[in-house]
Formats: sequence, structure tokens, C-alpha cells
Amino acid sequence: MSELIIQTKNLVKKFGKFTAVNGLSLEVPAGSIYGFVGPNGAGKTTTMRMLTTLTRPTTGEAWVNGHSVLEEPRAVRKSIGYMPDEFGVYDDMRVWEYLDFFAACYDIPEAERKRLIDDLLQLVDLTHRRDDMVDKLSRGMKQRLSLARTLAHDPSVLILDEPASGLDPRARVEIRELLVELAKMGKTIFFSTHILADVSEICTHIGIVEAGQMIAQGSMDDMRAQLQPHREITVTLLTQEAVEAVKTLMSGFEGVANVAELEPKGGRFRVRIDYTGGDEGVAAISQKLHSANVAILGFTEETKDLEAMFMRVTKGIVS
Amino acid sequence: MTAIAEALSPRDTHLADAARWLRRGALLNGVIALITLLLGILAAARIIPFETLRAGLLFNYAGSADTALAIMILLALINVSFMLVLTVGVLAREIWTFPVLWLLAVANIGLLFALGWLVAGLNAVLCAWLGVRLVRELSSLRVNPVMIKELRGRMRGVRAFAVITVYLGLMSGFAALIYLVYAAGNRASGSAAAGEIGRVLFLGIVGIELLLIIFIAPAFTAGAITGERERQTYDLLRTTLLSTPSFVIGKLESALGYILLLLLAAIPLQSIAFLFGGVTEAELVLSFIILTVTAVALGTVGIYFSSTLARTLNASVRAYSAILAVMFVAPVVLGVVLRLFSNLFSNQGSLLFSPVMETVFKYADLLLTSINPIATGLTSQQLLINQNVLGFYQFTLASNGSTIPLVAPWISFAVLYLALSAALIVFTIRSTRETEL
Ligand SMILES: Nc1ncnc2c1ncn2[C@@H]1O[C@H](COP(=O)(O)OP(=O)(O)OP(=O)(O)O)[C@@H](O)[C@H]1O
Ligand SMILES: [Mg+2]
Repeated sequence: MSELIIQTKNLVKKFGKFTAVNGLSLEVPAGSIYGFVGPNGAGKTTTMRMLTTLTRPTTGEAWVNGHSVLEEPRAVRKSIGYMPDEFGVYDDMRVWEYLDFFAACYDIPEAERKRLIDDLLQLVDLTHRRDDMVDKLSRGMKQRLSLARTLAHDPSVLILDEPASGLDPRARVEIRELLVELAKMGKTIFFSTHILADVSEICTHIGIVEAGQMIAQGSMDDMRAQLQPHREITVTLLTQEAVEAVKTLMSGFEGVANVAELEPKGGRFRVRIDYTGGDEGVAAISQKLHSANVAILGFTEETKDLEAMFMRVTKGIVS
Repeated sequence: MTAIAEALSPRDTHLADAARWLRRGALLNGVIALITLLLGILAAARIIPFETLRAGLLFNYAGSADTALAIMILLALINVSFMLVLTVGVLAREIWTFPVLWLLAVANIGLLFALGWLVAGLNAVLCAWLGVRLVRELSSLRVNPVMIKELRGRMRGVRAFAVITVYLGLMSGFAALIYLVYAAGNRASGSAAAGEIGRVLFLGIVGIELLLIIFIAPAFTAGAITGERERQTYDLLRTTLLSTPSFVIGKLESALGYILLLLLAAIPLQSIAFLFGGVTEAELVLSFIILTVTAVALGTVGIYFSSTLARTLNASVRAYSAILAVMFVAPVVLGVVLRLFSNLFSNQGSLLFSPVMETVFKYADLLLTSINPIATGLTSQQLLINQNVLGFYQFTLASNGSTIPLVAPWISFAVLYLALSAALIVFTIRSTRETEL
């Protein structure tokens, strides 16, 4: 997992005076599912367009699968499957013709195409719509067909711009499952999204951009730890005495940054412990309270969700 | 031309090499055409004798020596056009490049032996050599995927059938109308010559076809590239391995293929004119050549503007204005100017009345005629009927009675338009690549 399949160094893209991407350095390890997250206008699409050789960076360099985006665009194109944020529709085309055309564009010989199309349709579960017109498909189906198209030449990297946007919950889950399946097939998946649930659900890696700059990136586990320097443990207690007991017990405990009494809720007393240690420490706290015979109703560790993490790191600079 | 795209396999390298050689061949022929023209001017100025030139350059040609030079210039230009188109075709990995390459080789061998044009020998060797090399890459040549996609769409369902039916119906209706009007007119005047009806009918049908081509050829291609941009499918294509030449050629092929189908469908209708007599096979062939060449040229004009502009509407407007200006307005305006000047100068008493001036006027006249397909068609037909001239002929100057070589306009028209098309295809590919980033 250490080998980088997409790498950028100080990527900059300017449109006139406006800087859409501002010194972005991206590291996507081979085999990962990388969620590229950021508010509207953060420069996600622009970055992807540079990686797919559609736009030239103003300055900086980018490599995909070891090929320079600037010097070997065709080799890069061969390594990637790209799905833009809008579905380009060819009217007057059947589903199989759509795939056949793109397969031909990737120089796949005619003799192999029929089998390939059948396999692809099977993979994205569109076999029954093989002879239908493309523009008659539902949005979810179009998105799946689009995904099948990106796979025509068996690329090692998929670059997907908001693959789940505009889909209903069921279609979104379907796409998500497909991505996981593709990752299992050994493909690296680099996708942008606004939907943080998608990221926490399937991603192994995440990069957060804002105003064209990378704010944070790394593996999901690292990111969680990094963005969450202390844990919050909430202890629910039966009596006010128990609250005081917890306060005194915890005040000298190593790693406890703060103990605060919360508003009682539903007649129950609550205390929040801010703790900076690891899992063993959490267990030790629980142990200590129990052995002191404090009347405990509940002991929970709040995992801060991605949403909160996202809100904390992005500052809302982007218009 | 444009830098050749980065090679991903030895195949790509071989094809790029072949394309490079074809481009060099085109360049060589271009230079030769220019040199021949210069020699011709020197000969006309009596600096070198025509006979020497003919003996050295076109030694098997029995006609007059100055005609020999004109033939050589045109042949070189035709070679330029073919080689340029082949250059692009090879880069686009078109399957037709292989037979066309060999055809060009054989044609040049034929020219070498029939006329003794030495350059043809050179061209033949180049083409045959590339043809042999291309045998190895035969499996990577293919039918253009863009063309297949476009034609599949265009030919689907009842629409295509309906279009052709309506088209033929209108043409037949128009032919019938011409016949009726003409027959009625003749009955009134009392003289009815079947041959004349046939000729009028023929002209009418060809005229309609020409009008049709002028309207639909640019329309079909003006949206070729802008349309993909507007439908946001262009980015999809650009991230595939489809090369820019393949894309451009595929679009052209599909548009021209459809137009060719319309032209072929109307041939039976044209043949009705034969029933009345008065039309020769030569005229039928000439009309077909002029129509096809017009379609090709206008198609490339459309696609050229499609590659330089962002919107289909703008591309169409520009294409039509350019066509109108160059093909119709310019020849008419310049023709009038030319007529005024030549009247001034050919006045017997005028100081400027000289063989040189008359020659210049005559060639300028030919050039202007060759710019417009209608003038080209009518003039070529007149030459054929009145003087029985199909190709080259001698024109006697009024000023001193000497002769100059002239060519039937359909030949100069075809050469001019084909060279223009080849150049426009190259420009289109270049500008498509440039606007990519
Ligand atoms: N061709 C262009 N010309 C001028 N400005 C552009 C161009 N393309 C993008 N931009 C600007 O660059 C900025 C970044 O755009 P980009 O599409 O990359 O953002 P994004 O992160 O994909 O946003 P979204 O989440 O809305 O898709 C935006 O402010 C946009 O207006
Ligand atoms: Mg975007």
C-alpha cells in the first residue's frame, strides 16, 4: 500500500487571475479507495481534469501510474478510467453500442469487444438493458453504464468525479458497492464527493481540499486520530454524589485533560471526560470507576463523525 | 503539420514514421509544382525553350510542350493532396489508406510510363515502399469507430429511410416540373427537341443537387466538434486513446458518406435525362466529380470552423459566410473587375494590349471560373459540347496569334478544391489539438 499510483507536486491551475488549484500535493496509494472531499469550488474537478490530461497545469507536476501527465499523456490515458461529473449523452445510441464505441476508441479489437461488453454489463448489472437506448436509462443506470465505460480498457486507476451525485439512496448504495467490488479487483479508486457518509463507509484514504489547497490527507485511521487529539468519554450517573466521586477520582488520572459536569438529561447526571490516551487507558478509567463502586448507568465514548471533522478543518473560505 | 502524438507501442512508431514520409512526399511534390511553374514562366518569357523542358520532364507526352508543363503542375498538386490526406489517414489508422496508397503507387507508375513524368517514378517508389511497410501494420488499421458510431445513429430507424425518400421524391417532383414547364414552353414556340429537354433536365437535377450539397455539407460538419463539446461528450473522447486525426477523419467520413449516398441515390434520376438524349456519359461523370469534390471541400470547411469555434451556431454561420464569400461573391466581383480591365486593355489601340496581358487575363479568368462549381460545370460542359474538349486545349491569343495551354475548368477546380480540403483537414487537426488545453 505504500506505492503511490497518483502523485502531484505543487499543482497549480490558474484561470486568468483566479487560482483554482493552489499548490496541491496529492498522494494516492495503489489499491486504495481515496475520497477527495471539499466544498463547492474547492478545485476538485479542476485537479481531476489535470490528472486526466484534459487540462494542463499552470505549474507543478503530476504522475499517474508512473507516467507524467505533461510528457506522456497517452500513457496516462491508458492507465485511467475517467468519469466526469456530468454524464455525456450520445442520443441515438444503444447501451451496447455506447460501450462498443468506447472500447473501439481504446483500440480493443472488434473480436474481443462482444465478450467484453457482456462482461461489463454483467458487472454493472445492466445486461437486461443491453439493447435499450442510452437516453432512456434512469440516472442511476446511466451512472453505472458510465462506470462500465471507464472499465473498458481495464485501467488500473479510476478517477470518478462525484459518482454518486444526484442519485437516490438506493442507487447510491449500489454505486458504493460497485466501487468496493472494483477495489477488490485491484483497482485504485480516486473519487470526489460531497457525501461524507460515502467516505466514512468505503474509503481507505481521504484528502480534504479547500480553496485549491490540501488541508489534510492520509489514511482514514490516521486522519481520525490526527483530527481527534482527545477522546470524549461521557459517563451517565445515578446521583449527584456519584458525579462528585467521578470528579475526584479522575482529577489525578494520567491523560485526563478535563472533567466537566454536563446538564442532567432525563433526570440522569452526566460527566464528560476529555482523555488523550489510547484504548488501554479508556479501559483503565472504566475499571477504576467500577472498582470505586460509583453508581454508573452508562459509559460511552463519543466517536466524532466525519461531518464534524470536516466542519472543523474547512473554514468556509470558498465562496 | 502537428507534432505526432506520443507512441505507446512499436506499431504507433511505425505508423508515425510512415506518416512522416508521406508528409515529406507531399512537400516534395509541392516544391516540384512550384519549380515547374517557375520553369513555365521562364519558358514563356523565352528564356528556356519549352521543347527542352518537355524532353527532360515529360518525355513521353505527344501533345504540345506548354500543355506538358500544365499537366505536370496539376499532377504534382494532385499528389500533394493525396499524400496529405494519406498522412492524416495513416495517423488515424484508417483501413482505406492501404488500398489508396497502392492505388497512388500504381497511378504514378502509370503516369511514369504513359507520360514519362520522372517525378511520378519517385512518387511510385515512395508509395510502394510505404505500402510494403504498411503490410506489417495491417492488423492495426481499422474502420474508424467515430464514423461507425455516427452512421449507426444517422441510419437508425425510419428517419434515414424517410429522409432519402423525401429527398428522392422532391427531386423527382422537380424533374417533372422542369419537364412540364419546358415541354409547355416548346409547344408554344412549336419546336421540341428531345435532346434539349434531356439537357435541361440534367442541368436542373445537377443544379438542385449542388444546392443541396452547399446547404447540407457544411451543416453536417459544422457541428462535428462543437457538438461534442456542447453535449459534453468531448472530454470523454479525449481521455480515450482515440487520436485527433481519427476523430476528425471519422467525423468527415460519416458526413461525406451520407452525402455520397444521397448523390448515388440520385444517379438513376439523372439517367432519365439519357432517355431524352442530348447528355453524354462524360457529362454525367463530370457532374459527379464536381458534386463530390464540392461536398468534400464544403465538408472540410464546416469541420474547420467547428474546430476553431466554441458553438455550432457560430461555426455554421462562419462556414456559410466563408463559402458564400469565397465561392460566389468573390468570383462575381472579381469577374466583373476582370471584365472591365480586359475590355480596357484588349482595345486594339491600347498601349497595354499585349500577349502577356491577354495571357494573364485568360488564366485569371480560368482561376475565377474554377472557384465556383456552377461556373466550372457550365464552362466545362460548353467546352465539351462546342469544342469537344474534355481536358487540355490550346487557346489562340487574339493579340498576336500565338497559343497558350489551357485546361478545362473542372480539372483546375478539382485540383484547387482537393488541395484546399487536404490543407483544411491538416489545419482542423492542428486547431483541435490546440484548443484542447
Ligand atoms: N474553465 C474555467 N474557467 C474559469 N474558472 C474556472 C474554470 N473551471 C473551473 N473554474 C473555477 O475554479 C474553481 C474550482 O472549480 P472546480 O470545478 O474545480 O471545483 P469543484 O471542487 O469541483 O467544485 P464542485 O464541488 O462544485 O464540483 C471554481 O471557482 C470555478 O469557478
Ligand atoms: Mg466538481
